[in-house]
Amino acid sequence: MANSKPTPTRESFAQRYRIRFGHLPWYKRYEFLLPLVVTLLVIGFLLLPPLGKPTPAQWLWIGVFFALLILWVVGVLTDIEKPRWIRAIAAVGFVFVLGFLFYRYSGAQWDKLTTNFFNLSVMEGLWGDLGQGLLMTIKLAFVSMGISLVLGLLIAVLRSLNNPILNVFLIIYIDFFRAIPLIVLVVFIFYALPFLGIELDPYLSAVVAVSLNYAAYVAEVFRAGIESIYRGQVEASRALGMSTMQTMRLVILPQAVRVVIPPTTGLMVGLLKDTALTTIIGLPELLYKGIQNTIWQSNPTPLVAAAVLYIVVLLPLTRFSGYLETRSKKWVKTAR
Amino acid sequence: MIPEPVPSPPTDNWQKRPSWRERFGHVPWFRRYEFLGGLFLLLLLLAFFLPPFGRPESALAWMEIVVFFLVVLFWAGIILTDIEKPNWLKAIAAVLIVLVFGWLFYQYSGARWNKLVHAFFNWDVLNSTGSYGSTTSAWIELLAGLWLTLKLAFFSMIFGTLFGLILAVLRNLHDPVLNFFLTIWVDFFRAIPIIVLMMLIYYAFPYLGITLSGVVAGVLTLSLNSSAYISEIFRAGIESIHHGQVEASRALGLTTMQTMRLVILPQAIRVVMPPLASNYVAMVKDTAICSVIAILELLKTAITLQSWLANPTPLVAATALYLVILIPMARFSSVLENRMKARGISRAFASKKG
Amino acid sequence: MGEDRALMIDVIDLHKYFKDHHVLKGLNQKVYKGEVVAIIGPSGGGKSTFIRCLNRLEEPSSGKILIEGTDITATRTDINRVRMEIGMVFQSFNLFPHLTALQNIKLAPIHVRRMSEKDAEERGRQLLKKVGLQEKASAYPDQLSGGQQQRVAIARALAMQPNMIFFDEPTSALDPEMIREVLDVMDNLAKEGMTMLVISHEIGFIREAATRILVLADGCIIEEGTPNEVLKHPQHPRTQDFLSKIL
Repeated sequence: MANSKPTPTRESFAQRYRIRFGHLPWYKRYEFLLPLVVTLLVIGFLLLPPLGKPTPAQWLWIGVFFALLILWVVGVLTDIEKPRWIRAIAAVGFVFVLGFLFYRYSGAQWDKLTTNFFNLSVMEGLWGDLGQGLLMTIKLAFVSMGISLVLGLLIAVLRSLNNPILNVFLIIYIDFFRAIPLIVLVVFIFYALPFLGIELDPYLSAVVAVSLNYAAYVAEVFRAGIESIYRGQVEASRALGMSTMQTMRLVILPQAVRVVIPPTTGLMVGLLKDTALTTIIGLPELLYKGIQNTIWQSNPTPLVAAAVLYIVVLLPLTRFSGYLETRSKKWVKTAR
Repeated sequence: MIPEPVPSPPTDNWQKRPSWRERFGHVPWFRRYEFLGGLFLLLLLLAFFLPPFGRPESALAWMEIVVFFLVVLFWAGIILTDIEKPNWLKAIAAVLIVLVFGWLFYQYSGARWNKLVHAFFNWDVLNSTGSYGSTTSAWIELLAGLWLTLKLAFFSMIFGTLFGLILAVLRNLHDPVLNFFLTIWVDFFRAIPIIVLMMLIYYAFPYLGITLSGVVAGVLTLSLNSSAYISEIFRAGIESIHHGQVEASRALGLTTMQTMRLVILPQAIRVVMPPLASNYVAMVKDTAICSVIAILELLKTAITLQSWLANPTPLVAATALYLVILIPMARFSSVLENRMKARGISRAFASKKG
Repeated sequence: MGEDRALMIDVIDLHKYFKDHHVLKGLNQKVYKGEVVAIIGPSGGGKSTFIRCLNRLEEPSSGKILIEGTDITATRTDINRVRMEIGMVFQSFNLFPHLTALQNIKLAPIHVRRMSEKDAEERGRQLLKKVGLQEKASAYPDQLSGGQQQRVAIARALAMQPNMIFFDEPTSALDPEMIREVLDVMDNLAKEGMTMLVISHEIGFIREAATRILVLADGCIIEEGTPNEVLKHPQHPRTQDFLSKIL
């Protein structure tokens, strides 16, 4: 039984074109995109204002160019059917044109970039100073991590006793130290407490502030970990005759530790980041050294170097802790 | 004839009561009242040997205090973890922990408590004129600082969310090349500490010729930083929508855009609100960092007033203001999270701490 | 079967690979208007994949599929136009949770067929009545039972006035007491002459309503025929084995 029209041996180019592309909306069609690219190139090379901060009238041209660019990128990138290489060009081109626009029109004096941001002669002899700052940062971070973990664990365990009287004070502590910004706490301990007679040097103030602050977050994470262990396990182990302590030690804590590691890692990385806040009370950690040297040399290169050091240390760490968290989320989902 | 019932012989009351061994024989040695009573007496004895009032001088004195507190904790812990102990005893143990802790802090922190009111809650200082010869009182200046803090937070929230949304939509195009650049951008702004970024923008950029005012630099930094986290939140929200919805929508003939607009985004918005709320709370806290670039927000105002008036009461007041704003916000945010959990929508995001 | 009946689906040598797994091995099939084709077979045999290839929820690896004469496997066919003619009902209902039952039904007609709001509303209510749920128009999916949700899903598919409907194990996720109400709706549809492709294990329904059965196992159609033939006198040993387990 005949079931389809016999296909014609040769369709016209127009027909084939219509079959292939007829369903595309106007902004995804090659008829539109090709002229658009040409327009963009023309504007880009001929009509855009020169290097430097543009006048309001010139902003208009830049705005038009940018809008057309967005249109082109959207037309290409939202269309799954466009070939891979065209989409790659669109993506890369988009990023580079953005960079290019920023380069031309931010009014930055790019020639000054090397002398001001990456001045190697200024950096000579400063590496030792920055290195000391980094050591101080690490020292502060590790000591605070230790204290906050222990203190947080203590608070979490006390919370799990579910004693109403104790809970009032514990919750007050946690709410207070989670609400107050760390930088305010640091300033308070260093500047205000001396008026009461409690004088702490910058290092001790920093340790106390960071530890107290992070202990509150750690306590919450640990508590959530302890509570996440399915209630039925507690009941089963009690039914077997195990005491509260044994249940906690043999059943709950081993599981809770596994659950708790990803968010705790995230917190500790955050702690390392927050050590930078202690600059404000004069602790000679990395950022402080960077700023100090910047002021002495009237050149921001030390600050940039300090920033680079922060990134070099923190970027892998944040990636790692993010990876841990996503991995654990998957695990938690299937365990249900 | 029914015989009369024979009265039972009078029993010895003493023998009816369970013996001490019957009641407590099974209890482990460290939970027994004998042990606990003895330990309590030991504690009283130790208390006599505690150092006198004031900051402890020697390491030995510190150790005595720490040991004392640990023993108290141990004693109370045994009671509190024992289900069979009566509730009134547990209440005493709990109260004791708190009281002993408070008392130890009072005795040994070396604080001059008599100065507390004068230093921290000095009303006259708050009413006196503010810094650098201004005519408004300190109180008013602090409130002005608070207002600026809130404005900074508000604008950073708006720009951060907008930019984060754009980043998330770009991510959702699933273009590997674009994703490469986006990932670098997001990772960079999540890794760099806010204070470092702020200092870079405010102090270093002028050397390149880009000079931004303090407020602009502050809002820019906060927006850039939060947009990185917010884009992740949006992305996880979009991905949390069950794929079957997409299929049903496509099977009905809706295009990708229509599916996104009518099916995915309305649901995603609901899922995204709790982590977004906690992100906003963190942003209000982070406005305090703007104090390092000379913006007269709340913290900077407080610091200036304190040095001008040589009294930390403004700082205490500023702390109180922060708490008054932030604690309700934080509570509201956890309420949102709990409501979402109750609805069975899982939270699958990495949000900033808090 | 009469040759003047319209050919709705024409599948020619359909292959589908998932990574290295050869899921569909050269299927050929023709479905005519008004047929109710039931697809049975052991799980993993490719039934679901087959049906999903027909509206390109899965991309065929090779082969040709013509829906009402249009080659949907051709690289640039506008699949959304084709999907307007095909309705699909899923095992897990897939209703939109943020919309009421009536809104679920109205959504596609308004946005894809460009119906007016009033017409779509009216048609939606008619359809709800047809599946017996007219009083649940403003209920949200999480307020409805499984059977009710599936009936709304069927109404949602019908709202697009499709020429054929595919059912992917529509009752497998339902509690036993709710299966009947869904099968009744499907029965009525069959009686009204709708072209249907149904993957199901409900042998009772298949015996009554299906005009043809396909037995799909290991990616091949191993047997084909009327319900009487296949269910009472299965030829292929695999079919006999499978039926002995479920009958």
